[in-house]
Amino acid sequence: MKRVPPAKPSPSQNKRGQYLLRLFIAGNGSNSQQALINLRQLCQEHLNGRYTLEVVDVVLDFQAAVRDNILVTPALIMVTPRPRVMILGNLGDMRKVLVALRLPGIPS
Amino acid sequence: MHAKSYTKSRPIPKAMTQIPGLDGVLEGGLPLGRTTLINGGPGAGKTVLGLEFLCRGAVAGEPGVFVTFEEGAEAMRRNAMSMGWDLPALERANKVAIVEARFSGEEVLSGDFDILGLLAIVGGHVKRIRARRVVMDALDVLLRVFNDQRRERDELYRLHEWLIGSRMTSVLSVKAQREGNTAAEYDFLEFMADCVIRLDQRVVGQVATRRLRVIKYRGSGFGTNEYPYIIGEHGIVMVPVSKAELTHQPLGSKVSSGLPGLDAMLNGGIRRASCVLLAGTSGTGKTTLATTFTQAACKRGEKVLFLSFEESQEALVAGMSSAGVDLRPALRAGKLKVQTALPEALGSDEHLIRALGAIGSFKPDHVIVDAISACIRMGSEHAAFDYVMRMVGVVKERGITCILVNQITGVLGEEEELSGIGFSSVVDAVIQLRFIETDQEIDRQMLIVKSRGSAHSNRRHPFFICDQGIRFRDNSLTPSLPAGPVSRKDGGH
Repeated sequence: MKRVPPAKPSPSQNKRGQYLLRLFIAGNGSNSQQALINLRQLCQEHLNGRYTLEVVDVVLDFQAAVRDNILVTPALIMVTPRPRVMILGNLGDMRKVLVALRLPGIPS
Repeated sequence: MHAKSYTKSRPIPKAMTQIPGLDGVLEGGLPLGRTTLINGGPGAGKTVLGLEFLCRGAVAGEPGVFVTFEEGAEAMRRNAMSMGWDLPALERANKVAIVEARFSGEEVLSGDFDILGLLAIVGGHVKRIRARRVVMDALDVLLRVFNDQRRERDELYRLHEWLIGSRMTSVLSVKAQREGNTAAEYDFLEFMADCVIRLDQRVVGQVATRRLRVIKYRGSGFGTNEYPYIIGEHGIVMVPVSKAELTHQPLGSKVSSGLPGLDAMLNGGIRRASCVLLAGTSGTGKTTLATTFTQAACKRGEKVLFLSFEESQEALVAGMSSAGVDLRPALRAGKLKVQTALPEALGSDEHLIRALGAIGSFKPDHVIVDAISACIRMGSEHAAFDYVMRMVGVVKERGITCILVNQITGVLGEEEELSGIGFSSVVDAVIQLRFIETDQEIDRQMLIVKSRGSAHSNRRHPFFICDQGIRFRDNSLTPSLPAGPVSRKDGGH
């Protein structure tokens, strides 16, 4: 096994390691509210101070949903670091979310 | 149409589909402000039906939102354009909105979700263009992402409530499972929807035929039969079926057959709006006789539509000119239209629609089918019989003379048969041509087997075909009815 020299920052992080997350919710729907709770908790625990969170309510701004092709809610898009990822659901399965967001240092 | 309930209640409001023939089956259209489910296998035409409902509605002043879960919006625009619907123009005019609701397949699933996002998008477009109609194509693709029957039902229920609440006239389409294996979620859908239409594509004798059936229609009567339809150049066309009531025009005045001798045998000629069968074995001169009639009719200024299943227009014209019948002046004058088709190239429904299209635009006085025996190659004997019966029905309804050429194998009494299926009830006159062999030569004979409501000769009349066309042997027939007891009154039926 070859070791990749750590000359550049890993592609999963931009230069400042900043995460841009966009969460689409639909009003006060229970799944949407649950997703918000789950995401805030995840950000605190794993992205402390390194993230920007946009919350879009598709009921109020359907054009935003059109732009990002949102069919089901809640839906989370990791805009940066690239490549972007879309996660559907209330983020109840935290391990799956962490893997999808390519977050290093996931506790086993 | 047929299954009217006996207790007459106030008819429910309907949204016309304006799809030719379908509103008749639906007794006016789809339930206004309610949901209709379209169920059918791949290729049955669900998308076309939905698209057409939306486009025709938009043009007629009911804007609509089309949600596609399977095909891309661009593919949808191309599909529509190929049928003459300019979707981009309708979109620019805010009469149609297309929502491409497709998953990329790379989404990660984590926990429960719902279709509120989709409803927000659709609702946004509905508001923007003031839509009255919503079509959701391939809903099963959306449902699949839930991968849980109970969740699918919940979301379907949510969708249905939303559609009803917004008073949209909506059409939902789902791909049917294999016959007899409908999944439970579709049963639920059928229960939920006010109107359920099943589209079915089946292959009979290597030819695809399509059938539409209305399974249920809450609060309304509907045609309960299976209705054939085709997907034509401009979308879905319901094929006219044989009607219960006979609306045929009464037989009209007599016109010359083009042969004074035959006119004499028929006591004046062929009656307009009648159905004449020319039967005979191969080479007896059936097509020559049919084109002789054609030539004479066109010379009188009448129009003839010649449906040729046997040969091309060029071959027909060349072949007949050597038999003394020149069709070129009639073609040049626009009095004769030859429509050729290989029977096996299309299903009988498509053949019929094609012929009806020509009848509608050309408005012929007479139609010639050469030959109905070739129609069996449309797929099956039943398809051929169906084609002939429906063709004759439509033609008679319009007061058009119909001449059917039938090649028989030589068995006596086969004139009115198409491989064992009789259709004598629609045939008014039968002219039989045959060879007669003597030890010296082969000669031809013509016999009027029947001629409804008219006196006619009952003798076999020898004739020959030369470069001047059909000629009766001089001594057997003069241009008036021969003397003696050769005519009898056939009172008809």
